[in-house]
Amino acid sequence: MSAREAGAFAHVLREVGSGLTVPLPARVYILRELAYDLEALSERFAAEGLPLDEARRRASEALVPDAGALHALDRVHAPVYKRFTAHITPERLRLGERWALVLVTATVLVTGGVALLQADLLDQASPFLWPVLAQGALLFAAVLAKAFQLWIKRDHAVPWRGLNAILALVCSTVLTGFVGLNLDLYRLASMIESSPDLASTLTPVWLVRDTALSAASLMIALAGVMGWFILRQWLAVTENDQREVLGIDNTTRKRGRKEYA
Amino acid sequence: MSRDDFDVQGFARDINELLILSTLRACAKHGYQIALDVEAESNGLFRFRHGTLYPILHRLEEEGLIKGSWSKEGGRRRKVYKLTGTGKRHLSGETDRVQEIVSRLMLVLRRPGEAPA
Repeated sequence: MSAREAGAFAHVLREVGSGLTVPLPARVYILRELAYDLEALSERFAAEGLPLDEARRRASEALVPDAGALHALDRVHAPVYKRFTAHITPERLRLGERWALVLVTATVLVTGGVALLQADLLDQASPFLWPVLAQGALLFAAVLAKAFQLWIKRDHAVPWRGLNAILALVCSTVLTGFVGLNLDLYRLASMIESSPDLASTLTPVWLVRDTALSAASLMIALAGVMGWFILRQWLAVTENDQREVLGIDNTTRKRGRKEYA
Repeated sequence: MSRDDFDVQGFARDINELLILSTLRACAKHGYQIALDVEAESNGLFRFRHGTLYPILHRLEEEGLIKGSWSKEGGRRRKVYKLTGTGKRHLSGETDRVQEIVSRLMLVLRRPGEAPA
């Protein structure tokens, strides 16, 4: 349904949308189904001879969910995770989720660390590799937490929160790798300048450690960008659907995010 | 059927579900068409008001008794529901159950009592 077509019932649909706590994209499907039924039923009433305003009023009266129906829809579409954790207090649940996040991140870090040690990448590692790996761990935790919030917990009250932090971590990882690489090369050049006879010994070792540093920072950043992109695209597509159903123009996109997310 | 089997409050909800399943027996329909058909077939006795139809439809869909699919009509997307095999069996079993409940109820209501003094 286009923005123009949704116009007649746009305000009704926005009210329904704001009253629903159903997660995305189910919320969009409910609104889309309601939008079609409202339009079609009012057209039918109008074809039977009712004035258009009266036809729309009667269609709204019959189909627009009241508080009880909205609550019933919330119950039907409650995420599985929410149903399983309904008996746990929010404080305990939050604590449990944080511990689970720490545990998963630590497991991945240990597994990744073992792989790195086996690959001999850490034998003569650049000192800048450690902050890059630490930022990689933070990045992994941030993407994991956001994916958990959007797709498992399905808490879409503030869906965009945290996405910019992922992108900031990606930039900071690349920046750390870039700065580290340049500082390492500067130090290498200084050492060769002071002791030219060491050039043949130092150059291969430093090139290996700086290649490892730049490769690690780029790989981590690439994985982070992919995670950010997938999360962002999912949100953008879902929200675009919601805007279309609610008849919100793309020019009001930012305002729409705040009002109808 | 034991006394524990029958939930008076749930009976009204069951009736709404059965009305929806029954109207989908003939062919697939979308939301408001289901509401209009239930109203027409019951001569206005059963009416879905204030969007009460949607939670029931979505619960039936979640339970696998009906299946919703999206189609396009005149550039607009609409959701059409059809009865599943499980839904058909459920409808058949529940129709028998309702018949039994109504029969027992009528037996009680029409039982010849003592004439008032």
